[in-house]
Amino acid sequence: MAQTGIGGVQQYNYDIIKKFAIMTLVWGLLGMATGVYIASELAWPFLNFDIPQITFGRLRPVHTTLVIFGFGGSALFATSYYVVQRTCQTRLYSDWMATLTFWGWQSAVALGAVSYMFGYTQSREYAEFEWPIDLIILVTWVVYFTVYIMTVRRRSQPHIYVANWFYIAFILVIALLHIFNNLAVPVGLFSLKSYSLFSGVQDAMTEWWYGHNAVGFFLTAAFLGMMYYFVPKQAGRPVYSYRLSIVHFWSLAFLYMWVGAHHLHWTALPDWTSTLAATFSIMLLLPSWGGMINGIMTLSGAWDKLRTDPIMLFLITSLSFYGMSTFEGPLMSLKSVNALSHYTDWTIGHVHSGALGWVAMVSFGSFYHMVPRLYDTRVYSTRLIYLHFWLATFGIVLYITSMWVAGIVQGLMLRSFDDYGNLSYTFVESVAFLHKPYVWRALGGLFFLSGVAVMAFNLFMTIRRSRTEAAELETRIAVKMARA
Amino acid sequence: MNQTKGKTGGAVQTTGHAWDGDIQEFNNPLPSWWLWSFYATVVFAVVYWIFFPAWPVANSYTKGVMNNITFVDSEGHKKTMHWNTRALLIKELQEGKTAVLSREYMDKVAAAGYSEILGDPEMMAFTRSVAKGLFGDNCAPCHGTGGAGVIGLFPNLADDSWLWGGSVKNIETTISDGRLGFMPAFGDVLSEAQIADTASYVLSLSGQTVDAAASARGKAVFQTNVGGCHYCHTPAGTGLKSQGAANLTDQIWSIIDVNGAADPAAKKALVEQVIAKGVERRMPSWSKRLTPTQIKLLTVYVHELGGGQ
Repeated sequence: MAQTGIGGVQQYNYDIIKKFAIMTLVWGLLGMATGVYIASELAWPFLNFDIPQITFGRLRPVHTTLVIFGFGGSALFATSYYVVQRTCQTRLYSDWMATLTFWGWQSAVALGAVSYMFGYTQSREYAEFEWPIDLIILVTWVVYFTVYIMTVRRRSQPHIYVANWFYIAFILVIALLHIFNNLAVPVGLFSLKSYSLFSGVQDAMTEWWYGHNAVGFFLTAAFLGMMYYFVPKQAGRPVYSYRLSIVHFWSLAFLYMWVGAHHLHWTALPDWTSTLAATFSIMLLLPSWGGMINGIMTLSGAWDKLRTDPIMLFLITSLSFYGMSTFEGPLMSLKSVNALSHYTDWTIGHVHSGALGWVAMVSFGSFYHMVPRLYDTRVYSTRLIYLHFWLATFGIVLYITSMWVAGIVQGLMLRSFDDYGNLSYTFVESVAFLHKPYVWRALGGLFFLSGVAVMAFNLFMTIRRSRTEAAELETRIAVKMARA
Repeated sequence: MNQTKGKTGGAVQTTGHAWDGDIQEFNNPLPSWWLWSFYATVVFAVVYWIFFPAWPVANSYTKGVMNNITFVDSEGHKKTMHWNTRALLIKELQEGKTAVLSREYMDKVAAAGYSEILGDPEMMAFTRSVAKGLFGDNCAPCHGTGGAGVIGLFPNLADDSWLWGGSVKNIETTISDGRLGFMPAFGDVLSEAQIADTASYVLSLSGQTVDAAASARGKAVFQTNVGGCHYCHTPAGTGLKSQGAANLTDQIWSIIDVNGAADPAAKKALVEQVIAKGVERRMPSWSKRLTPTQIKLLTVYVHELGGGQ
C-alpha cells in the first residue's frame, strides 16, 4: 500500500500500532486463560490448591485487569492511533510520546496483575491498582490525551471524523474518572497501601460512578469509535446516518454519567439516587442503540457481504451483541428486576455478553482488517478467521446461557418461600445448584479462548509472511537494479 | 428505511466529506421508530419521577406523590411516609403474606414447651421448615448440611451417639453456650508401651480383636490412677456426658476413623495417637447470634436429626 512507502519516510507511525496490536494478543491470551482458570476454580474449588496467589479472590482482578486494560486498552491504543492518523491524514504528533504511552500502559497492567496476586489491592472494582500504579496511569493518560488532541489539531482534513469524537470522549472521561475515583491518602511514602478520601456510601457511589462509566466510556464509547471506522471501511459503504451519529453521541455522553448508582440499588444509597440511576438507564437504551443502528444499517444493501466476508461477520455480530446487552442493562437497572438479578451470576453473564460479544468481537474484526494493512500484506488464512468466528460465537452463547440459568435460578431460589412462610432454600443449596452451570461456563470460556489462540496464530503467520514478502521484494529490486 | 431514499422520496446525499480515501456518511434522518422510542423512555422516566423520590432539591429531595406507605413504627403508632425502601421493608415484614404466616407459627412455637412441640405434627413440620434454613446457614458449614460432621473435626449429629447428652435440655445448652471438648495429652505422662497397651484395651471395649495380654495391661492403666481414664470415660467406658467424654463401647468414632482403618495395627496406631496427643475441640456459643426461639427450633431439629433422648 502507498502509505507504507518502501525505504522512504513513512507517512504514518505504524510501529507504535504494531507494538500495541501484539500486546493486545498477548494480554488477551493471558487474561482469558486466567478467566478460564478462575471459572474452573468456581466449578472445581480444589483448583485453588490452597496457594494464596492463585485463589479466586486474587486472580479475579488479575483476569479483569488483563482483559479490560491489557487486551481492551491495548486494542484501543492501537486502533485509535491507526484511526486518528488515517482519518486526519497526518502522522502522530509525537513518536516518543506515543512510545511513552506504550511502556507506561504495559507496565501499569503488568505491575497491577502481579501486585494483586501478592495481595496489594485498593479493593475498588476495576480500579484495584494501588496508588503508585495509579500515578503511572495518570502520566500515561495525560500523554495519550496530548498526543491524540495534538494529532487531531494538525489534521489535513477540514472535519473531524465521528470515530475521533468517540475516542476523544473516551480519553477525556477516563481521565476524569481515574483521578476522582482514586483520590486516596497513602499510609506512608514507602507503603503501597492507601485509604480512599471518601467513606461509607459516598465511597461506594464514587466507585460505581467510576465503574459504570468505565463500562460506558472505556468499553462502549471507545469501541464505538473503533466501529465507526472499521465497519464503513470494511463494508466499503458510507455510514448510515451522520445525524444519528451526532444525536446518539451526545445523548450517550450525557446520559451515561448518571447511571452508575444502579449498581447500588437496595443498599444504604438514598432512594432518590437509585431512582435517577434507574430512569437514566432506561433513557440510555435508545442512545446506545443509535450506534448499533448506524453500524448495522451501514451494511444495508450489501448484506451479501456477510456470506463472503468473515471480518464483516465479526463486526455485525459484535453489534448484535452490543444491542442485546445494552437492552439487558437498562432492564437489570430497574429496581424490581435488580432485586432478583443483583448478587447473582446474571450480572456476570450480562458483563460477558458485552465484553466477549461486543468488545472482543469488534476488536477481532478490526484487527483482521488492520493488522494485514499494518504489515502491508494479506491475512494468512481466511478459513482460520471463520474458525475463530465460530469458536468465539459458540463460546459466548454457552457462557451467556449458562449464566442466565445460574443467575435466574439462584435468584429465584433465594426468594422462594415454603408453605410456612420460611425460606425454601439455604444459601448453600443455591451454591450446590451452581456447579453445573459453572462447568458449562468454563467450557464456553475455553471455546472463546481457543478462538483467540487461532487468531494469534493466524496473525503471527500473517506477520511472518509479510517479512518473507518484503525480503523477496528487496531481492527482486536488487536484481533489477543490478541489471540496469 | 432505505438509505438511498429520503423521506421525500429523493436520493439521500452524503455529507460531502470523505476521510481516509473512502469513508463517507449518508445524511439519513433519524429513524422515526428510534426517535419515538427514545421519547417514550423519557416519558417513562418523567412518570417515574412523579411517583418516586427522584430529584435532589437543596437539602432535601422530591418525595413522589400518591405513593405513600403506611406501617407501624417502633412505638406502635401508625405512620405514613412517602415511598422509600426502608418503609417498604418494614411494611413487608409486618404485613407480607409469608412474614405473617411465619410469625404466626413462630409465636406458637415460642409459647410451647419442648414436649408440646415434639408431640404436635404441625409444629414439628414448621420446625423442620424453618430450622432447615437455620441449620444450613449456621451449623452446616462445620457439621455438614445433613449433620454428618467431619471425622476428627466436627461431631456427627445424625447418629444416636451424644457426646454431651441427647436430651433437648442438653442440646439446647450445647447450642446456646457452646462446648469445649477436652482430653489431656498423655504422651508425657505414660510410656510408649503403656499407651500401646491402653489403646489395645480401648479397642477391646468396642469388640475389636486385640492382643489379650496387652489389653489386660492396658486395663490396669485405664481403670487405675496410672492413666485415670476411667474418671471421664467411666469404668464401663461409656463416657461421662457432663465432660463430653466419648463412649468407647459403641463403635462410633468422632476423632479418628477407626472403622475406616485398614488393619488392627492401623486401628491401634490411631488410638495411640489420640491418647498421646489428647483432644481439644471447641463449638462456639450461639446465644448472642440466635434468638431463644431460634435456638429452641434448632434444638428440636438436631434432636430429631440424631436419635434424640
